[in-house]
Amino acid sequence: MSISPLVLRNVTKHFGTFTAVSDLSLDVPEGGIIGFLGPNGAGKSTSLRIALGVMQPDAGTVSLFGAKPGIATLKRVGFLPEERGLYKKMTARTSIEHFARLKGMTARDARARAIELLDTSGLGDDKNTRISKLSKGMAQKVQILSTLAHRPDFLILDEPFSGLDPVNQQILEDLVRAEHARGATILFSTHVMEHAERLCDRIVMMARGRKVFDGTLGDAYGALGHGARINVETGFDLAAALAPKGLAAHRMPDDGHGDAWRISLPKGVGAQDALRAAIEASAPIVGFAPEEARLRDVFVSLVGEADAAALDRSQHPEEVA
Amino acid sequence: MRNVYLIFRRDYLGYVRAWGFWLSLAAVPLFMIIGGSFAVFAMKSTPVRYYAVIESGTTYADAIDDQFARGEQETARQARDMVDGMNLPPESRQRIEINADDAASERKFIRVPAPADDIDSLRPYLLGEKLVSGPLGDKPLFAAFIPSADGKTLEYWSDDVNVSTLLNTAAAAMRHLAERNALADAGLPADFLEQVEASAIDVPARRIRSVAEQSSAGSEVTMADRAPTYVAGGLAYFLWLMIFSIIQYLLMGTIEERSNKIFDTLLTSVKLPELLAGKLLAVFAVTSTMMASWGLFALAASAFAATQLPGGADLFTPFLAAIADPGIILPGLISFVLGYLMYGVIFMALGSLCDTIQEAQTLLSPMMILLMLPMFAIFIAFQDPGSPVVDIAAWVPIFTPFLLILRMPNDPPMWEVAAQMVIMAATTLLILWGATKVYRAGAVHGAGIGDLGGVFKRMISRKNG
Repeated sequence: MSISPLVLRNVTKHFGTFTAVSDLSLDVPEGGIIGFLGPNGAGKSTSLRIALGVMQPDAGTVSLFGAKPGIATLKRVGFLPEERGLYKKMTARTSIEHFARLKGMTARDARARAIELLDTSGLGDDKNTRISKLSKGMAQKVQILSTLAHRPDFLILDEPFSGLDPVNQQILEDLVRAEHARGATILFSTHVMEHAERLCDRIVMMARGRKVFDGTLGDAYGALGHGARINVETGFDLAAALAPKGLAAHRMPDDGHGDAWRISLPKGVGAQDALRAAIEASAPIVGFAPEEARLRDVFVSLVGEADAAALDRSQHPEEVA
Repeated sequence: MRNVYLIFRRDYLGYVRAWGFWLSLAAVPLFMIIGGSFAVFAMKSTPVRYYAVIESGTTYADAIDDQFARGEQETARQARDMVDGMNLPPESRQRIEINADDAASERKFIRVPAPADDIDSLRPYLLGEKLVSGPLGDKPLFAAFIPSADGKTLEYWSDDVNVSTLLNTAAAAMRHLAERNALADAGLPADFLEQVEASAIDVPARRIRSVAEQSSAGSEVTMADRAPTYVAGGLAYFLWLMIFSIIQYLLMGTIEERSNKIFDTLLTSVKLPELLAGKLLAVFAVTSTMMASWGLFALAASAFAATQLPGGADLFTPFLAAIADPGIILPGLISFVLGYLMYGVIFMALGSLCDTIQEAQTLLSPMMILLMLPMFAIFIAFQDPGSPVVDIAAWVPIFTPFLLILRMPNDPPMWEVAAQMVIMAATTLLILWGATKVYRAGAVHGAGIGDLGGVFKRMISRKNG
């Protein structure tokens, strides 16, 4: 029987009076790609740092490959932290080599692996360039390669796509798929739902330190069902109007056509039925569209609009600023 | 150990590959060479200057000449006294004495006959418009002494009043002349004061030893008696200098890692104590490399100087014997290592709480004050290793590493040495424990300087709880 790479049981972590992680239990099965989703401040990074033994939980237990996190078990793990960092005066090659050797590789293997990774990822010409001379995206790539260098069984990537341009995001997605194909288990945190939708076979959603969902993508969509989008004149409370008819409506971000609402449709109820109900409730309708469920909608339905807005702010911080 | 080595290797290579390291490495020998050469050059290049004394006889001129001669004799005597303390073979002593006499007698002011006898006529010579003849050819007249009409002052005229050697010599000569005249008036011989001084009883230093030791080593105080104190002082000062030098390395190195957000990656590969040990070793090796290089340079320079003297190598014998004495070197090395650890981890822990160099700079002042305290203690202990102040201060753990080393040549009671070592070791462990917690708080939890109080509060409450 295979041992789960990671098992968290009732993990709680406080920082003063603030509860960063509350009663989190999580099983990461071998060979999966698991998305750890939630807005900034949801407790994802803290949970990952606890999983790695960098931080100790105030309550609960952590098991990494069946043991307490320690240097021996961590040799099987590749970790990409949310706050990226490399020694600026080291070269791309020596950086990868250094971290690979810290994970137990011999000097010769580490060197060969570093050159191989840099060549295959298009950084071969820059292998002797100092990190301080590389662009931010290239340095980030070097750090990701440092994480993979020792061929870990379990990859924990904290917000791996953050800061990467679309081209490099695609390259990273390909790398994640390649590592998965090699047999590695992958757990990555993100606040960008689209990455999870494209990569994951299972997702765990966090909000305010609590786990709000844990299941497959199919489970997530199934939980929400399909839906419909109805735009009404500004100020009309569609949720209150549809509630007596047994339909749940959630506010969506503004799309420039009055107030946008998403109606979650239970099984057996069609989008036309929702439209009819809105008309019957005398809603001042300005727009209508049937909709397939998206992960964000699942998140909204689970945590409410306030936390979903936090997720939106995490995805588009520049719009908030 | 492998991880400690890898952390050590990276940090060490990181430091020694920086330009600053090589600049620092070259700066001290370069400074010594340039400084030494400059001093010799300045001495050699000081021009010989002419002066004249306007008087009917030669009373003042002779008095000034005598004063120069006395000064030269005094310089030569001091050099001989210093050589006496080195216990060199007679031929080396003779050579040094001859050199010292030669150097002392290289007079830089030569009296020449006055080309005129009033200041108006002397003016063009003093301003360099006209030259005077002397033993070294024609030169401008540097200064002239002209007595006042009432004989109460001897005016010193010169175009360059910043060079005061001649003026001071003349003033001393006039005091001596007045003393001699007063003695003559009292019917005493001119060299009365010298006779008085010569008749004073000498006070030679004698080292008390056991009868057996005294029969073989004698009672004379030699360099062998002083060498252990010098070696201990050197070791204590070396420790202080090393700690002083590592502040910036430990602070800046930790800040770099904190600002580079590298701790999480490191801590999933190495244990925190391994990380700290590797970093401390690297900084220790960097400063050791630097100081060993300087030491080798100094040794090479000394060895070269020693080869210039017959038997000069004997100078080192007492020092080598003191270094080889386990009674000094063992406690010295233990104190050295514990002292380095004690101070090193404090600085490293504080560095882990800083995000910027500016923040670290605010810490430098209190750190300097913290480091000045042992320096004062070293100074007192070097002057008087048996002082009660030193005996008491040696029990204060932050002073112990320095003072224990300095006390060893004075054979302190064995139980005191053992007890102080135990206290020092226990304090080092306590500081290591606390510093590791602070380092973790800074490195992992991102705590800042302002959070230090909270970190200690949590440490104490957890320990109690």
